This record gives sequence, structure tokens and C-alpha cells, in this order.
Amino acid sequence: MNHLSDLHLDALAEVFSIGAGRAALSLSEIVGDEVRISVPSVQVVNSEDINSTTLSLNSGRFGAVNQHFSGPFNAEAVLLFTEDQALKIVSDMMGSQMSLEELAEFEHEAMCELGNIILNACLSAMADIFNFTLESSLPDYTVASADEILHRLKEDANQPYVMILHIDLTIEKRHTAGNLVFLLSSASLTNLVAHVDQFIGRFS
Amino acid sequence: MFADSSIKKLLIVDDSKVSRMLIRTHILARHPEWIISEAACGEEAIALVDSELPDYCTMDINMPGISGTDAAEQILSQHPSVKIVIFTANIQETHQVRAHSLGTILVAKPVTEKSIALTLNHFKDSE
Repeated sequence: MNHLSDLHLDALAEVFSIGAGRAALSLSEIVGDEVRISVPSVQVVNSEDINSTTLSLNSGRFGAVNQHFSGPFNAEAVLLFTEDQALKIVSDMMGSQMSLEELAEFEHEAMCELGNIILNACLSAMADIFNFTLESSLPDYTVASADEILHRLKEDANQPYVMILHIDLTIEKRHTAGNLVFLLSSASLTNLVAHVDQFIGRFS
Repeated sequence: MFADSSIKKLLIVDDSKVSRMLIRTHILARHPEWIISEAACGEEAIALVDSELPDYCTMDINMPGISGTDAAEQILSQHPSVKIVIFTANIQETHQVRAHSLGTILVAKPVTEKSIALTLNHFKDSE
């Protein structure tokens, strides 16, 4: 069952684009160049309906930053990039001519930091606009195959809904695409929809 | 009969319907007499400015098609009297500098009473 109308999805996309703007500002200060982050679309689906196409997961390895959020709704957030793209982002963040081996050494820390910046910027925009407070756990980074990631996203029966944000990230003219996925329980999705309703109700 | 000079025409340019609704609601709460039109992209905005000649314009940056700053530059080259505020979540230095170089200001989203007040002050100050 999908509880969200086009207006709900438009409101969520706008909230997340404000978050993306904040994340781009922080990242541009780290890399010393312009960073573009946009959220072209938001989708909410049943976790059983997600597959490699929904998340553009092709073959290869993926870098996933996980963070838990709690508050009026609880969510597990996962930021996904291919490992190749993750390493390019790390290279841009470290800002030097490092070898691949050296980059791999910093991959874990730099990707946790990237995840922390993007996830917290999105969640803080949501908290500001919807007037609530969210607490977050420390980020964790893992590298896994597409199958392992899909299995992990579908395995928790208590979180049957998935909100997917497609993310376009350009650092120093280099374009990468990833996904930000929120795993939500039924109650959390209902609470989130109630907050979006309240927000839309203020002006419609 | 003379037109009432307090009645202003505002064009809201934003690809998000929710953002356009929010800006419209906040502005009409303060200026119920203003005439408001909307565009969802830069190209549509350029065409609307030609036909409707608004006094003021709020312009998002990240939209499908040309960027809001490029649209603002084109509008100002044809209609320098239009007062434009770049109203965006894209708050990096490069955009702030570009906004100023065009003679506009950049106001950071979200759309709130505070950000709307900054926008209206800019319109008023540039009269």
C-alpha cells in the first residue's frame, strides 16, 4: 500500500533538495571546489518490490554507509555508491594524487564522513521543516555485492517500506550517481506521512 | 483611472509545486493584492517575463533545463527593471557571487517567514 500522493513526494523531494544543498555546501568546503548534489526523484515502495533495477545496482561491489535515525519516526538510512565511484569521491575529498592503495586506506573514514554529511544534512532539513528532532547513530561503512545489499534491505520484516532517493553528485565536474535508501516500519511511514500532511496543510 | 502602484506582479519560478505554493501563500499573506504567476523552469520563466512583465521574480537554481541563474541573466538582459531574488537550496559561495554579480541576492531555502522577509526587503530596497 502506498500512502503517498504526488504532492507528498514533491514535498519530500523539496525537503531533501534543501538537505542536498546543505550537504553540497559542506562538501564544497572540504574539496575547495563547486559540488552539485541533486535529488531528481523520491520513491516509496514495499521492500519486497525492490530489485537491482530499482536501485541501479549492476554487477560489481558497492560501498554502503549505514546510519540509524530515531525520533518521531525511526529509519535505517543507507547511502549507496559503486565502490569505483566511492573511491573517486574519496580521491576528490582527499585532494591529492594518491595511489589506489593509499586511497583504499582512507576509504572507510572518508565514506563515513561523506555519509555523515549527506545523511545528516537531509535529516536536519527534514527536522527543521517538519519541526521535530531526530537523533542519529555513528555511521558505518561496508563494501558488499548487489545481492548482499538487496538481501540486507529486504531481510527485516519489521521495516517493510523503503524510501529511495536517487542522488546525483558532481565534484570538480566529475559526475557520480548513487542512492539514499531509508528503511521504514509501517508505523514510521505513517508518522512521516502525518508530518508531511501537517506541513502541506499549513499552506494548502 | 491610474493603476494602484501598491499592486505588484510577482513571478515565482521553481520546479517544485510545493515550493511555489509555499512562496505564494507567504507573499499573499503579506500582500493579498499582488498578482502572482508561476513557472516551473527557466525557459517558461523567460517567456512569461516577456508576456507579463512582472515587477518582481523569485528564481530557484536547480531546475530541469537551464539553471535559474542563467535564466535570471537572460531576463535581466532583456528586462533590467525586473527585481530578482535567487531563492534556492544551492547556497554555495559560487552561486552567492554569481547572484551578486547579476545585481540580485541569494536567499537560502527553506521558505519561511524569515526568508520571505529577506526577499521582500530586497524588492523594496531596490525600488
